[in-house]
Amino acid sequence: MRIGIDVGGTFTDVVMVDEATGAFHYTKTPTTHHDLAEGVLKGLGDILEIGGVSMDEVSYLIHGTTIGTNAIVEGKGARVGLVTTAGFEDVLEIRRVARPKEAAFDFGADNPPPLVPRYLRKGVRERIDAGGRVVVPLEEGSVRAAAAAFEREEVEAVVVSLLFSFLNGEHERRVADIFAQELPGVPVTLSSEICPEFREYERTCTAVMNGYLGPVIARYMDRLTARLEAEYGKVSLHIMQSNGGTMTAEVAKSHAAHLINSGPAGGAIATAFVSGLTGNRMAVGADMGGTTFDISIIDENLPKTTTWGGVTNYPIKLPMVDLKTIGAGGGSIAWVDEGGVLNVGPESAGSDPGPACYGWGGTRPAVSDANLVLGRLNPDYFLGGKLPLYPEKAEKAVRTHVADPMGLSVEEAAAGILRIVNANMAKGISGNSVERGYDLREFALVTMGGAAALHAADIARELNMARVIVPPMSGNFSAVGFVVADVQHDYVRTLARKEHEIDPFELLREFREMEEEGVRQLEQERVRAEETEIIWSADLRYDGQSWELNAPIPRAPGGFTEKDVRRIAEGFHELHQQVYSYSEPDEEVEFVNLRVRVKGLNPDLAFKAETHEPFLVEGGWKAMRDVYFAEKGWLSIPVYEREDLSVGSCIPGPCIVEETISTALVPPGHTGAIDAYRNIVIELEGRE
Amino acid sequence: MRYEADPVTMQVIRYGLEAVADDMGYNLMRMGRTTIVKEIMDINCAVLDAGGGILAQAHLCPLMMFSLPTTAEKMLERVPDFEEGDVVICNDPYLGGQHLLDVQFFSPVFVEGDLVAFVANIAHQLDMGGAVPGGVAGGLTEIYQEGLRIPFVKLYRGGREDAQIFDLISRNIRIPEKTMEDFRAQAATTVVGVRRVQALVRKYGLDVFRDCTRMLLDYSEKRVRRFLREIPDGVHTGRDRLDDDGRTDDPVDIQVNVRIRGDEMEVDFDGSSAQTAGNVNSPWACTQGGVFYTMVGIIDPDMPLNSGSFRPIRVSSREGLVTNPRPPAGVTARSQTMTKIVEAMLKAMSEVVPDRVVAGSHGQACTNSFSGVDPETGKRFSYIEIQGGGAGARPTKDGPDGQDLHLGRFMNTPVEAAELENPVMIERYEFIQDSGGAGKFRGGLSLRRDIRFLADVTWARYSDRQKFRPQGLFGGLEGSVGSLILNPGTPGEARCRSKGVGEIKAGDLLSIRLPGSGGYGRPSDRDPERVAWDVRNGKVSARSAREDYRVVVRGDGTVDREATAALRDR
Repeated sequence: MRIGIDVGGTFTDVVMVDEATGAFHYTKTPTTHHDLAEGVLKGLGDILEIGGVSMDEVSYLIHGTTIGTNAIVEGKGARVGLVTTAGFEDVLEIRRVARPKEAAFDFGADNPPPLVPRYLRKGVRERIDAGGRVVVPLEEGSVRAAAAAFEREEVEAVVVSLLFSFLNGEHERRVADIFAQELPGVPVTLSSEICPEFREYERTCTAVMNGYLGPVIARYMDRLTARLEAEYGKVSLHIMQSNGGTMTAEVAKSHAAHLINSGPAGGAIATAFVSGLTGNRMAVGADMGGTTFDISIIDENLPKTTTWGGVTNYPIKLPMVDLKTIGAGGGSIAWVDEGGVLNVGPESAGSDPGPACYGWGGTRPAVSDANLVLGRLNPDYFLGGKLPLYPEKAEKAVRTHVADPMGLSVEEAAAGILRIVNANMAKGISGNSVERGYDLREFALVTMGGAAALHAADIARELNMARVIVPPMSGNFSAVGFVVADVQHDYVRTLARKEHEIDPFELLREFREMEEEGVRQLEQERVRAEETEIIWSADLRYDGQSWELNAPIPRAPGGFTEKDVRRIAEGFHELHQQVYSYSEPDEEVEFVNLRVRVKGLNPDLAFKAETHEPFLVEGGWKAMRDVYFAEKGWLSIPVYEREDLSVGSCIPGPCIVEETISTALVPPGHTGAIDAYRNIVIELEGRE
Repeated sequence: MRYEADPVTMQVIRYGLEAVADDMGYNLMRMGRTTIVKEIMDINCAVLDAGGGILAQAHLCPLMMFSLPTTAEKMLERVPDFEEGDVVICNDPYLGGQHLLDVQFFSPVFVEGDLVAFVANIAHQLDMGGAVPGGVAGGLTEIYQEGLRIPFVKLYRGGREDAQIFDLISRNIRIPEKTMEDFRAQAATTVVGVRRVQALVRKYGLDVFRDCTRMLLDYSEKRVRRFLREIPDGVHTGRDRLDDDGRTDDPVDIQVNVRIRGDEMEVDFDGSSAQTAGNVNSPWACTQGGVFYTMVGIIDPDMPLNSGSFRPIRVSSREGLVTNPRPPAGVTARSQTMTKIVEAMLKAMSEVVPDRVVAGSHGQACTNSFSGVDPETGKRFSYIEIQGGGAGARPTKDGPDGQDLHLGRFMNTPVEAAELENPVMIERYEFIQDSGGAGKFRGGLSLRRDIRFLADVTWARYSDRQKFRPQGLFGGLEGSVGSLILNPGTPGEARCRSKGVGEIKAGDLLSIRLPGSGGYGRPSDRDPERVAWDVRNGKVSARSAREDYRVVVRGDGTVDREATAALRDR
C-alpha cells in the first residue's frame, strides 16, 4: 500500500493505492490550519480504516503541502541573513529593474518586496571572475563581521550568494565553514549548491527562497514525523517536490525551495499517469478551482518542466513542473466595464463571500452562478449535497450585474459569462503550449478539480483538441499523482562551451560526477539500483542567445566521441526548427548547462483494466433536467450518476454526469464513454 | 459552429489576438542573439488590421508600439502590393520609426486571397552602421551619421529571403553575424504570427472577424471618451527640460499644452524648443507615444490597447520643433525627449487628476554602449547597458527603487551575463542613498553601476538629468541628478557629459549613477516609522530624516517621538 496526502487550502485529500491490485481508496478531511499535522493524522487514520489495513502494510507515505507557498504569500518565512559579494548587496532587491510583466502602463504596480531587507544583507570582500578564477581572495574578517551582525539580529538562516559561484564554489564553501564556527546550528544555503547557474539575481532569489523556507519546513517535518512515530512507530515519509518527483522527509529539510507548488505538480503527474493509461501521449492537465485555473502540459507522457518558474513573481531557478496559473475559476466574478463589455475575473468571490448561489452574502455573479442559472449545476447535489445552492440568488446576480446592463436575457448573459471564461482559459492553454511548437490537435484535455469537467468540452472545442478525459477521483487528483510519482533529484552544471571547445572526455566526466552524486542520494533514500533511472540532457543554444532549449542526450557509459557531440548539435537544430520555425544548421551550438535527473522508480501499479464491449446506455439516468445551450436554447437532458455508469457505457450528449465532487458536461453532438479505467472520455469527432 | 459578431465574440477574439502578440514576443526574446533583445527585451509585437491600425500588442516595451501603426499607414501608401510570405522592413524615423536601430518587420496575413491583417514586430538592433559602433551615440547632428536608413523594403518575397538585400545591409553594419540572425528571428516571429491570425480568422469567418475587430476599436474609443467626459474641461500646461542636446550646453525645453473639452482632448507642444542640432529630436511617432503612454496609465492601464483608444486624443506639433523635427535632423537620443514629454504630461494632468499621476521619475534613458576587441578572443564585441533609476512617488505609496523607465519596460543586463561575454568587470551595483525625493511618499532610489574595462573601448552614450532634477508633486521634494564619472576618487577622476562618444582605456572604471525621482506630498506628513525603516535600511540618511522629514531616528533605529514632534511643530 502507498498513501498520498495532499494538504490543500480547504481540504486534506488522501489516496491509498494497493500496489498489487491497483485498487484505490480515497477520502477528504478538512485542513486544520492551526496545526496541519492534525488533519494529516486524521486523514491517515480515516483511510486506513476505509481500506481496512494497518500501517504495517503501508510501504510509504507521500506528502505534499502548501506550507512553503503559504509562508511566502503571507511573508512568514524565516529571518534570513544574506551574504553577497561586497558591492552587490542590493542585487536581490534591484531584481531585473523591470516593472511586473503585465504592468507596462500601470504606474501603481509593484514587484513583491525582497524576502531579505537591506539591513540583513551583508557584503564580503572577494571576487571570482567570469573564468572562475579568484581575483580577490576571500577576506575572512568581513565574513566574521557579517556573522557578528547576523548574531545580533538573531537571523534563523543564512544564505550565501557570491558572483560566479556557479563556476567556482570555493569562496561560498569557505563562508559556510566560517558560519559553522561563528553561528553553529544556523542552517546555511549556498547558491552554488542549490542553483549553480548564471544570472546572479535569479540564483540569489532561489537560494534565498531555500533559506527563507528551510526553518519553516524543518519544524513542520520534525513535528509531523514525531506525531507519526508516536501513533504508528517508524514510518517512511516521502515529500512531493515541485519537479514532479519525491524525496525523503529528511532530505526535504535542507531542500525547502524544492517544495514550492508541489501540490499542483502532483496534479500534473496524475495527468501524465492518466494520459499514459489511456494511450494519450500528449495531454493538457486542467485544474479549475475556485479562484485559479492551473495548466500543465504532458509531452510523451512526461510533464513539461521549466527552470523559469516561480511563485508570486519571485523567480525560482530550479527544474519544476511547468504550471501556468491564470485567474479563472468557479468563483471568478463577471462584470460589465465602462465600455459596456463583459469581463470575467481576475477578481474572485473566493470562499468569502463566495459566489452568490452559495448564499453566504455574495451578490455579484460568479462563474458558478452562471453554471447554476443554465442548469449545468445541480443545486441539491453540490459537494454531494453538503452545500445547498440558491438558483434565485444566482439569477438575481446575473440579471442585475450582467443581463440588465447589457440588455440581454439572463440565459444569454450567463452563456456569455461562460464563453468569456472559457476563452480566457483557452488563451492560457494556447499560450503555454506555444513554447514547444505543439499542435494541440493531438492533445487530450484531462480535467481535475470540481469545475473543470463542466467547461472542458467547450475549451477543447475552442482549441481543436482531440478529446476530453474526466478521470475518476479528479477531486483528489494531486494525491493520486503523489502515489504514482517517482523519487527524483535534478542536478545541473554550467559548462558554457562552444561545440568546437567541447572535450568529449570532459563532457562525460561532468555527467558522471553528477550521476554519482545522484546515485549516492538515492542510496541514502534506500532506492535499489535496479529501480534507478538516469536521464541526461543539456541546455543548448546558438552562440549569442540567452535562452536555451533543453535537449535529451543519450546516456553513454562507454564514453563520448566527437561524433556524439555533433549528433547532439544536430538534434538541437531540429528542435529549434520545431519550436521557432527557424534554425541555422551551419551554425555552431553552445552547450550551456548539463543536467542529470536521477529517479528511483516506483514499481508500476498492477492496474486492472476492466473490459467490456461498448454499449449505448438507454435510460438509467437519475433525472432529466433543463439545461441551456447557446446554440440551441433550453433542452431537457438526462443527468447520470457517475457510479451508475459501468465500463463500456456510451452516453450520447447532451447529458450531464454528476458525482459528489464534480460535474461533467457532454455537449450536444458528442458522446461520453466510460473506458476500461472508468474515465469518462469525450471524443471531439467532427471538429474543424 | 457559427459565430455572431456580438460583444462576447468580440471579447473572445480580443483574447485570441492578444495571445498571438504575446506569443510572438516570447518567441522573439527566446531566439534573440543580442543582449538588447534577449535580456533587455527592447522589443514589441502587434497584430494590425488591414488598414494598419493596432488590434492587439504584446506586454513588452510600450514605447515601441506606437511606431507600428504610424509606419504601417505609410507602408500602405508606399508599398503597392503584398503577397503571402512577404516581409517588409523599415527603420526610418521619418516614416514612423523610432531611431534607426529599431527595425520594424511587417507581414501580411492573407485568408482565401483576402488581405485581412498584418503582424508586426520591432526590435532594437545591436548596430545599424553609422559613425559610432553600437549606434546609441548622443551628439550626432544628421541622420546620415546615425546609420543605415531603410525605407520600405521587402526582405522576404513570398517566403524567400532576398539575399541581395541581406548582403547590402550586412556590408553596412558592424557585427552583421549577430544582427542578421536577429533579423531572421524577427522574420520567423512573423511567420508564427501569420499562421495564428489565419487560424483565428478562419475559425470565426472573415465577416465576423472584421465586424468584431471594428467593434473592438469602437469599444476602446468609447472607454476613453467616457473618461474624458468625466473630468473637467480646461487647459493645462506641463513643462520639463533636457540638460542639453549633446552639442551645446543650452537646455532644451519641453512644453505640453493640454486642452480637455467634452469627450475629446488636444495636446500640442507650442513653447517647446526648436529642433536641435544634437540628436535628441523626437520623431513624430515617438512624440505621440509619450502622450498616449501617459494617458493609458492615467485612464486605465488594463484597457485593451488598440488604435481606437487614441481616436479621441488629438496630438499635434508644429514641424520644426524638437517634438516634430524635419529631416535630416538626428534622432537617436530621442528617448531623452520622449521621457520628458511623459513628465510634462504627468505634470499637466496632475492639475486634473492628482490621484492618478506620479511624481517625476528619473525621466531619461541611460543607455551606454561599449565596443572594442576582446583581447582574449581577438573578436569584436559590442555591448549595451540600459540602467534603471528612481521611479516617482505615487499618491498612496512610495516610488519603486531602481526601476526601468516610463515607456520602456526592460530588463537590466545581469552582471554575470555581461562579464561572461565581454571584457569587463563590474565592481558595484547598488542603490544610492537619499536619491529619492522626500515626501509623504518617497521617490524611488536610483542605481549605481561601476564597470571596470579590461580592454580599450569606444563608449557611446546618451542620458540626461545631470542638471535638472526630477520633479516632486504636491510638496514632495525633487530627486537627485545623475552622473557619469570616470575613475572616481582617483587623481584621474573625470565627470563626463550625458551624451556623446568617447574612448575608455583598459583598466579605467566608469561609474554610472542614475537620477533619482520626486516625492509626493509633504515630507513632514510621512509616517515617522516609515522614515525610521528607511534609515535602518540605509535608503535614507539620518541627516535627511532630520532635515527633510523632520524625524529624529535614534542610534538603535527607533523614532525619538518627542524630538520628532518638537521638530515637526516648529
